[in-house]
Amino acid sequence: MSQSDSTAAGAVTKRYVWKLRDVILMAILGLLFAIIYLAVFQGGLALSALLTPLGLANYAFEIVYGIWFMAATLAAYILQKPGAALLTEVLAAAIELLMGNSGGLTVVLTGIIQGLGAELGFALFRYKKWNLASMSLASVLSALFIFTYELWYLSYYLLSPVVLAGQLAVRLLSAILFSAVLCKLAGDALARTGVLKSYALGARQKAVHIYAEDDDQEVK
Amino acid sequence: MRNLNPSLKALSLLLLTLILAALRQSWLNLGVFALCGLLLLLSGVRPPTLLLAVLPLLLLGAGLFFSGYRFAAESALRQAAATTGSPSLPFKSSLLTQAESSRVSNGLILASRVFGFAGPGLLLALTTDRVRLVRSLGQSLRLPPLFTYGLLAAWGMFSQMKLEYARARVAFRARGIKVTPLSPRLLRPLLIKSVRWSEALAMAMESKGFEGHAPRSSWRPDPLRLPDWLFLGGCLLPAIGFLI
Repeated sequence: MSQSDSTAAGAVTKRYVWKLRDVILMAILGLLFAIIYLAVFQGGLALSALLTPLGLANYAFEIVYGIWFMAATLAAYILQKPGAALLTEVLAAAIELLMGNSGGLTVVLTGIIQGLGAELGFALFRYKKWNLASMSLASVLSALFIFTYELWYLSYYLLSPVVLAGQLAVRLLSAILFSAVLCKLAGDALARTGVLKSYALGARQKAVHIYAEDDDQEVK
Repeated sequence: MRNLNPSLKALSLLLLTLILAALRQSWLNLGVFALCGLLLLLSGVRPPTLLLAVLPLLLLGAGLFFSGYRFAAESALRQAAATTGSPSLPFKSSLLTQAESSRVSNGLILASRVFGFAGPGLLLALTTDRVRLVRSLGQSLRLPPLFTYGLLAAWGMFSQMKLEYARARVAFRARGIKVTPLSPRLLRPLLIKSVRWSEALAMAMESKGFEGHAPRSSWRPDPLRLPDWLFLGGCLLPAIGFLI
């Protein structure tokens, strides 16, 4: 191995080491999203009550299901480290449980499965692409992973295949909308404010143009 | 319940939930839920608090019952028809036709799972001190201090986040701007401040000598005792169902 190769490998390893500020950021994102999850859960519950007589109560949660993957994709997009998606999703699920989610203890297991799906999405790009494509793949895999698990865990296989196919389609669309498109927009908007300059996403952002109207006078 | 080791309690209840998921018995799900309710009351949880926690479950259960009743898979109905009269339908079904019984049984299996899974979850959430649980994860499950203290630090900021959120809502109201509870106008500044706080907090902890991977002593050890193992054994009891 040449010296430049070993230097590059060392830089990559250093970039992937967990720092305290990464862990606190993940935990805070987990906390923030746990609150959002609980609020969405209550909203989904109200909608599900309306759809109950039609037997379509499940669709109430499918529409917003993508929100449950947001912590994973947003944290991974900001930190750009292997494990960020999985850890943040598990943290958010654990906090959600402790705040009183009615889903039970397997909320944490659900977090692990969703996090693994998201992690695989980024791993397939070898943790080198952090864009809408990798975030969409991570979201879709999260949705597929958790849907497969629910077929067994919630006994969804007892439902008609047509209803299940509809549920999966709505869930995939929701995943792409919320945890890919919205998280990408949120991450970019955050980076533009300059608060992420210590993290991978912020470090890649161009400096703010103070005199944007006059390129000759711009100060970076 | 409150004195059990939080880590082992969480692990035991998770195993119980997974056993229930694998067994798919509506009567067992409802029985576990009733037992968890009883343990919650014995642990000093106030009945109104418990009722408030059960209300969403009734809505979820009803939703799943009607989904299972109206949109049952053909294979599920055949299976239910073969087992109607068995414990999967926990009441006398002479008033229902065979087809109706199968649909009701299908709906009940789906609905009862919500209760079976929520019971152990509520038992953990309502009888466990959150900070003690995180500390116990570090002590009993060897979670590195970087993560336990990172999590505790974030948890400590929860009250600050709530205050900031309330402040932002009042500020919008003062300007006559209507915002929904999850409006991006409210969440964006909260997210920006959260990132700033996390950096400042990490810097403050490290400047005081915090080392994320060094071994640490604990001011309040939470060892595993006999009642913890007995509780684990009790949670594994429904696994006998695999043998029957």
